[in-house]
Parts: sequence; structure tokens; C-alpha cells
Amino acid sequence: MTQVILAAVLGLLFALGTFLILRRDVVRVVWGVTIISQAANVYLVTMGGLTGQSPVLGHGGEHPVACSVPDAGAECVTDPLVQALVLTAIVISFGTTAFALVLTYRLYEEHGTLNLGEVTAE
Amino acid sequence: MSADLAVSTTHVVIAPMLVALVTAVATLATRRHDRLQRALSLLGVGAYAVGVAVLADRVLSGGTLTYQLSAWPAPFGISLVADALAAFMLSLAALVTVALLVFSVVYVDEQGQRVSYHPLFHFMLLGVSGSFLTGDVFNLFVWFEVMLMPSYVFVAFYSGPRHTAAALQYTVLNLFGSALMLVSIGGLYATTGTLNMADIARRLAAPAEFGIDPAPVLGLSTILLVVFALKAGIVPFHFWVPPAYRAAPAPVSAFLAGVTKKVGIYAIVRLYFTVFAAGAVEGGLGLPALSGESFLAFFGPVLFAMALASMLVGGVGAVSRDALDDVFAYSSISQVGFIVLPLAVVATVSDPALRTLGVVAALVYSLNHAVAKSLLFLVSGTVYDATGTIEFERLGGLTTRFPVLSGSFFVGSLALVGIPPLSGFFGKLLVLDTGGRALAAGTPGAGLALAGALAGAIFTIAYLSRTWSQGFWGEVTPLVEHGSQSSVLVGVVAALALVVVAVGIGFDPVYSFAESAARAALDTDAYVDAVDPGVVARE
Repeated sequence: MTQVILAAVLGLLFALGTFLILRRDVVRVVWGVTIISQAANVYLVTMGGLTGQSPVLGHGGEHPVACSVPDAGAECVTDPLVQALVLTAIVISFGTTAFALVLTYRLYEEHGTLNLGEVTAE
Repeated sequence: MSADLAVSTTHVVIAPMLVALVTAVATLATRRHDRLQRALSLLGVGAYAVGVAVLADRVLSGGTLTYQLSAWPAPFGISLVADALAAFMLSLAALVTVALLVFSVVYVDEQGQRVSYHPLFHFMLLGVSGSFLTGDVFNLFVWFEVMLMPSYVFVAFYSGPRHTAAALQYTVLNLFGSALMLVSIGGLYATTGTLNMADIARRLAAPAEFGIDPAPVLGLSTILLVVFALKAGIVPFHFWVPPAYRAAPAPVSAFLAGVTKKVGIYAIVRLYFTVFAAGAVEGGLGLPALSGESFLAFFGPVLFAMALASMLVGGVGAVSRDALDDVFAYSSISQVGFIVLPLAVVATVSDPALRTLGVVAALVYSLNHAVAKSLLFLVSGTVYDATGTIEFERLGGLTTRFPVLSGSFFVGSLALVGIPPLSGFFGKLLVLDTGGRALAAGTPGAGLALAGALAGAIFTIAYLSRTWSQGFWGEVTPLVEHGSQSSVLVGVVAALALVVVAVGIGFDPVYSFAESAARAALDTDAYVDAVDPGVVARE
């Protein structure tokens, strides 16, 4: 059930992000990109599988076999690698989003508008 | 064998990255001391070239070198793999970068250099080197980001209205590309159970043994192809190229066209010809016009259509532009088509000799394009520096006022057209040879490839002769009359022109280097053996 809900939420996030990217307002476009990269991050976490014990010693991580391995058994742990990956991805998207926002402000200063139709016509 | 001994012999693999990183940090720390910063920057790029030369020498004489980070065995740690292909691409980058940095020190204004130019340049170089050397797909994503972030700033470098608009478009597009890349990498991890490229290849070769369904891997690797095509500026993912190249400072446009684009090409060769080539969908793809079971049987026609479209769209675009940078930007779209075309043709052939020839053609053409297109962008920069414009209608008579500069442009354009004995002649020859042999072997579409390449070549002649007659010949305009050239800038441009001639005349070692690179790219087993990700199965 969790899988179905997560899949639906991810689909909605990607759809919302795509919708916002196609707007004319620059701020919405940046929001759209941000939402899409966050959706990609959530997607990345789900790729390690949703079931399994916490991969920490003393909290059920005594059987270090990831659930994604075939025939891992019921005692398997959640794959911790995707969580390490997503941390890296979050840091990167944080930096680039900050840059995109600064660029948006700069664009407003230079063009006096946030409407992409007026910006490209110039 | 002790662990520290094993580390010391393969340490040279990280030399280029280490040099670029240290230089970037050092130039950042010394940004208040102009001369020291520039000296360090030039020293750093020199050390980078030396590091790459040593690495290439070791790889060519002693075979593939693998560096496992913190001695974690593959596939658990991050592997860095320096094989002949990586060495070839690094050499290409080093060759161009040295010239670009010397040019930048004179070309970019004082204020610009003081603010951020040198650290950004070296961080960009770091990202490029990391992308060439990494043997891990997620790590490839990280290096792509390291390479892209400085380039966002460079596109916005002059921060005028046009530059900020171009930078925003470029940034948003690449952020979207990064999200796509993340999605496909996550999917690849979920389906293959690994991120190590050699391990992916090993598992794809025996899908039943590892419990992998190859069909989703094909789909996910197609998403990845979109990302690489975006980086390489292949049609239909090319539209960001002209505004971004127009906005960035001339040496950075040269870097973006000459080196950053080649990272996309490298990734296509590495992942689709080394790694995913091992994969096959049982029973064929079930799509019209696509026969064969191998992944490459699918990617071949896709790349083919993209290459043909790039050559034509780039060619038509370049013929109709009215400024040097715009012509060169569209020209680089068209030239990337020439690089991808032989790859696309040989993706569907089974003859290993022909497949090697196709990859050699792509690599030689990449080298030619890197040097010649950098040369042309630097010519544009020098013209701007001397006259203050790059618009055709205000240029004219450059040949009489600036003969050396015009001569260098002439050499660079002849190299792009493919006149012997320049570097471009062999690039074109190998591309056409690949098409001709594929035609003789009865490969479907080879005739179309030859026709497309000829049409692309005619476009190249058309837009370069138009540039020559409108910008360089004709009556001397007032701007050109009162312009004054910087001898250092012209010197760098002339030196690159000499490199174009030298590569053409002394082509034999270049060819053998490209050939060993192509063999390394196509020898999946040797790549897997060098990384040795089988540690789990062995114990």
C-alpha cells in the first residue's frame, strides 16, 4: 500500500514540476525545477526498497543483508546506499537552487520583468 | 603485496584531478594578489598538462590503471579507471586548456579575473577530469555537477541582460537534466543492484545469474542518453547552445565547445559501447524498424537520427547567422553530428574491426573539433578584443589589418572543412571511410550516412566561406581600421593553428593513440577485469 501511495505522490510531484516549468513566470519555473529535483530525490530513496530493518547495529541491523538481494530472508535491512546517494544529491540541488534564485533576481534587475515572454523577446 | 605499495603505483590516476583541485583552491585563496593568482593558475594548468602526459604515458605503456578510493574493493568503493580512452580524452582537454588559460589571462579584464575567473576555470577542469576518470555512474553525476556549476557562472559572467537570460535558460535546462540523470541512475541501481560501471557490464552480460531484467535497463539507459545528448548539444537537445556560447567569455565558449561537449561524447562511448554493450533484450525489442537483440541495435538508429539531424540543423543555422560566435555555435552543433555519426553507424555492425574504426573516427574527429573550434572561438575573442565587435556588418578587411589572425582563422576553417594535411582531413576521412565500409558490408542506412556527411560537409564549406568573405575580406571598416590587436592573443591563436597543422602532419602517433583508446572502449572484458568488481562472488 505504501508503494502505491508513494508512486502516486511521486507522479503528482513530477507532474506539478513539469506544469510549473512550462509557466512564463521565472519564479515558477525555478520552483518547478526545484520540485522535480526533490521528486527525483524521493524517487532515489524508494529505489533501495521500502521494507526491511534499520541498517544500524543494535536497531535490527545485525543481519547485514540488504532486502534487494535475492533470497535475503525476513531479517534483511533496508539498503543504506541510496540514502547516502540522496544526501549528496540534496546538497547539490540545494546549491544549484540557490544559484538559480540569485539568477532570477539578477534577471529581474536587468530586465525589469519576470515574464519569460518579455525577456526572450528583447 | 602490501596495500600501500598498490596505492603508490596507481596514484598517478588521481594526479590530474588533484592538480586541478589544488590549483582551484590556491587561486581562490590568493584572489587579492593578482599576479600571484595568475602565476599559480598558469603553473597549475602546466602541472595539469604534465600530470596528464605522465598518466597517458603510463596507461599506453603499462595498460589500464585502476585506483580504488581508500582501497575499498570494487564495487563497494568508488573506482577511478584510467584506460586508453580516458587518457585520450584527458590529453585532448589538457592540450586545449593550456592555450585557453594563457589566452584568458590577457583577454579577461582585471576585475573579472580578480572576482572568480581562475578558481571557476580550474573547478570546471576538475569536473571534466573527474568525469573522464570515474568508473561509477553516481560519481559521474557528481562530476557532471562539478563541471556544470562553474559553467553556469561563466555564462552569466558579463551579467548584461542577454547574459543573465542565457544563463537562466542554461541553468534551468541543466538542472532538469540533472534530475533526469538522478532518476535513471536510481533506476539502474534498483534494477542492476550496483553503481559500478564495470559491475553493471558484468551483470548485464549474465542477467539470469544476477536476477536482472534487461528491458528496464534499456529504458533507463535511454533516459541517460537524453542527459548526455543535452551535455553534448546533439539535436533535439541543442537549443541552449547558441545563446550560452554567445554569452560566455570567448575562452570559456572555446572550453564549452571544445572540452565540455566531449564529456557528453565520452560518456556516450563509455557507457553505451563499453558498459551497456554487454546487454541484450531476449527476443528482440518488438519495435518496427529495429531488429537485433543487443542494446546497441536500439541505440544505433536513435543516435543515427540524432547525428543526421544535428549535421543539418547546425549547418542550416550556421549559414544564416550574422556574428562570428553564432556561426561557430551552430557549427559546433553540426560538428557534433559528425562525431556521433560514425558511432551510430558502427553500433549496429558486428564486425569488430569496423566497429573499432568507427570509434577511432569519432575520437579523431573529437580531437580535431576540440582544437579547431577552440581556435575559432579564440579568433572571435581576439577580433572582439581588437575591434569591439563580432557582427559581420561592422567587420571587413581583417585580412589586410590583421594578417596573422586571419591566417589562423583560415587554417582553423580549413581544418573544419577537412582539407589535407590538416587534422580535420583525417577526421573527415575516417568518418567517410566508416560509412563507406559499412555500405560495402551492407549495413542498412550506411548510404544515408554518407549522403548526410557529404551534405554536412557542403554546409561547413558554405558557412565558413560566408564568414570569410563577410568578416575577413572586403573593405576595411572604421572599427577594423582603428582596432589594435594584442600580440599575446594572436600568439595563442597562431600556436593553436600550428597544433592543427602539426596534428595533421604527424598524424601517425595520434592515430595509434586513438586506436588504442577505441580498443579500450570496446573491450568490455578488459575493463571489467581491470576494475575487478567480482570480489563478492569470489569469496
